[in-house]
Amino acid sequence: MGLTGWLLRIAAGRPRALLVATPSGARARVLAEAMMTDRGWAVALSPGEASVLVVCGAAGAELEAAVSVVWGDISGPRALILIGDDQVASEVGAAFDGAVALLGDERAQRADAASRVPWVPDEVEMAGMHGHHMGDPAGVPMADRGPDRDGLSLDRLHVPLGPVLVDWPGGLVADTVLQGDVVQEAAVRVLDGGAGESFWDAPWVSAARGEPVTRGRGERWRAASHLDSLGRLLAVADWESAARTARRLRDRLLAGEAWASRRGSSVGDARLVRDFGRFARRVRGSRVLGWMLRGIGPVPADSGLGEWATGDALDRMRWWLDRTGEALLVLDDRTPLQGDDGPRAAAHEGVSRRVIEALPSLLAGAEWAGTRLIVASLDPDVAQVAHDVTAGRRP
Amino acid sequence: MWLRWLTTSPLDAVRDGRAIGEPGARMVVIIAMAFGAAVLEAWLRGEPGVLRAVAGLVVQQRRRTLAGDRLLTLLGVVGVALAATLAGAVLPIQGPAVLDSSVGIVWFNAMEVGVWVAVWLVGWGVNAVFPLVGGYRFVAQGLAYELPHMFALITVALGAGSLRFADIVAAQRPVWFVVWMPVAFLVYLLSALAMAFWGPFGEALGRDIAGGVAGELGGVDRLVFSGGRYLMLAVSAAAAVPLFLGADWAPAKTALVLAGLVLVRQLVPGVRMDRYMTFAWMVLIPATLVQMLIVGIVVL
Repeated sequence: MGLTGWLLRIAAGRPRALLVATPSGARARVLAEAMMTDRGWAVALSPGEASVLVVCGAAGAELEAAVSVVWGDISGPRALILIGDDQVASEVGAAFDGAVALLGDERAQRADAASRVPWVPDEVEMAGMHGHHMGDPAGVPMADRGPDRDGLSLDRLHVPLGPVLVDWPGGLVADTVLQGDVVQEAAVRVLDGGAGESFWDAPWVSAARGEPVTRGRGERWRAASHLDSLGRLLAVADWESAARTARRLRDRLLAGEAWASRRGSSVGDARLVRDFGRFARRVRGSRVLGWMLRGIGPVPADSGLGEWATGDALDRMRWWLDRTGEALLVLDDRTPLQGDDGPRAAAHEGVSRRVIEALPSLLAGAEWAGTRLIVASLDPDVAQVAHDVTAGRRP
Repeated sequence: MWLRWLTTSPLDAVRDGRAIGEPGARMVVIIAMAFGAAVLEAWLRGEPGVLRAVAGLVVQQRRRTLAGDRLLTLLGVVGVALAATLAGAVLPIQGPAVLDSSVGIVWFNAMEVGVWVAVWLVGWGVNAVFPLVGGYRFVAQGLAYELPHMFALITVALGAGSLRFADIVAAQRPVWFVVWMPVAFLVYLLSALAMAFWGPFGEALGRDIAGGVAGELGGVDRLVFSGGRYLMLAVSAAAAVPLFLGADWAPAKTALVLAGLVLVRQLVPGVRMDRYMTFAWMVLIPATLVQMLIVGIVVL
């Protein structure tokens, strides 16, 4: 008992947290990621690795159901953090402290373990034998078969991507059908879409309402949004160190906002511009990254998605880097923000819906290893999308 | 005492006629190196506290998956550390090798390939999609790195005229093999990363497949598997020294190579085998063959 309690307390200070993004929870996710970095928490890539589940933003019914399955799947000792859409940093910090305290609380963890419904594989397997076709192991249907692109009859494996998946757009689900390592079909849907108002579009939405917003603030948001997308793309490309830098720059930009609005131009911004320059050179200069992203998810110029999307994943990454660099030069611009030109094209009629509608045809025929890169290089913001969007035939 | 430990070379030990024994001490050196690599990695990631992380995995409950094959998974989990230990047995790390085999290089290669089996067994055994994808990625990676790797090892054996590590070390007085076999050395470093599925060659545990092979491992299983990976990284770094970097200061040189391998993860993104395979077969294999030809002409 004594040893377990001691180990629990030692381990509690370094949890492994799995983040769940929600459609409207970009702000909560950014706060949570920044706080994890500050505290040196480890990022869990899967429920199996996690000791803390952090739900960033308000989850609708479907997403909540998925979250509860994942929560039930996390081995103890465990803690759950729910961050509301509008919570401020101090509240998030308190929730993180609470999770650490709970992880180190032996009595609470033993009570949690005792209250959990024990999962007995044999019973599940028995139920499966009765409920499904005979011969389905453990009640899980066997892969069916279908003709592949060469006309051969191959196993078809149904693999959903999302909604609880590391570095994946909140509330998005891509149902894919795999044959070998090729995606034969994909259908994309949105769970519990946002209210149509995205965190990343906030300055433009405020300006349209007639509130005083400076152009500098809009550009700060644009740069932060692109850095967020870059962080996701680099993380999916398995370059954690560059992804961390992108996210750190994003956090510094957003943190500088509060300070800058009180005191005029921020001295920290000059250093930030310099650090971004170093980051951009490093990412652009990586020949291995170029080698891996070239030719991934090609979008023709007449796709209707816009200039930013044209080309492959590497072109889109460079576009984000260029736009971020330009935005960082005008952070001090005090003129009123005009127009509707948010980070994802028009703030009021965001491009995310069209991206989601284009995804099934982009994913079909792609190699599995490239699917996550395709989605991350287009990085749709589900908050811009209404509830009912589905694209592609549900396989 | 410390300095003496650093400067002890396998040849000195052989000359002094000291006993070959103390395999335990040899193991401790390698485990300490592996732990050091984990500490360095955690520090670079900004997630310090390796002992806390270990404690977290010790107290975490184990995990079972639906219709998983527990036996195969466990074999794989233990297999990485086992393969690393057996591969390391033929290396002169601090003093002569625990197992001074006349076919040391072949033994090292054979044991290191055991990692393929182990990683694939974990990916297959847990019966989940992402780990399975990761397992297949590692098999593809094996096919990509193994042939250039073998040619690099054969080049070294050719240069020394022996498959025994002690002879290879002796053959590097006064000129280290890295000086006239630079291609083989670079190819070996790539293999070192690949056999420990580390850094750019860590796609079997990729972030895009939610941790891949290790995604369904929790608690002690994850601890042993991750520990085995660091051990494999340390062993592959330790092998670089007798193969290419001469005799003296072996532990210090191993530590430097290991630190370099850990750093690569910060500098290079993941490498996918659908693209790397072409490079490995079209560029690396011819390059190692040319290197071998040159070495062959020199030793004639």
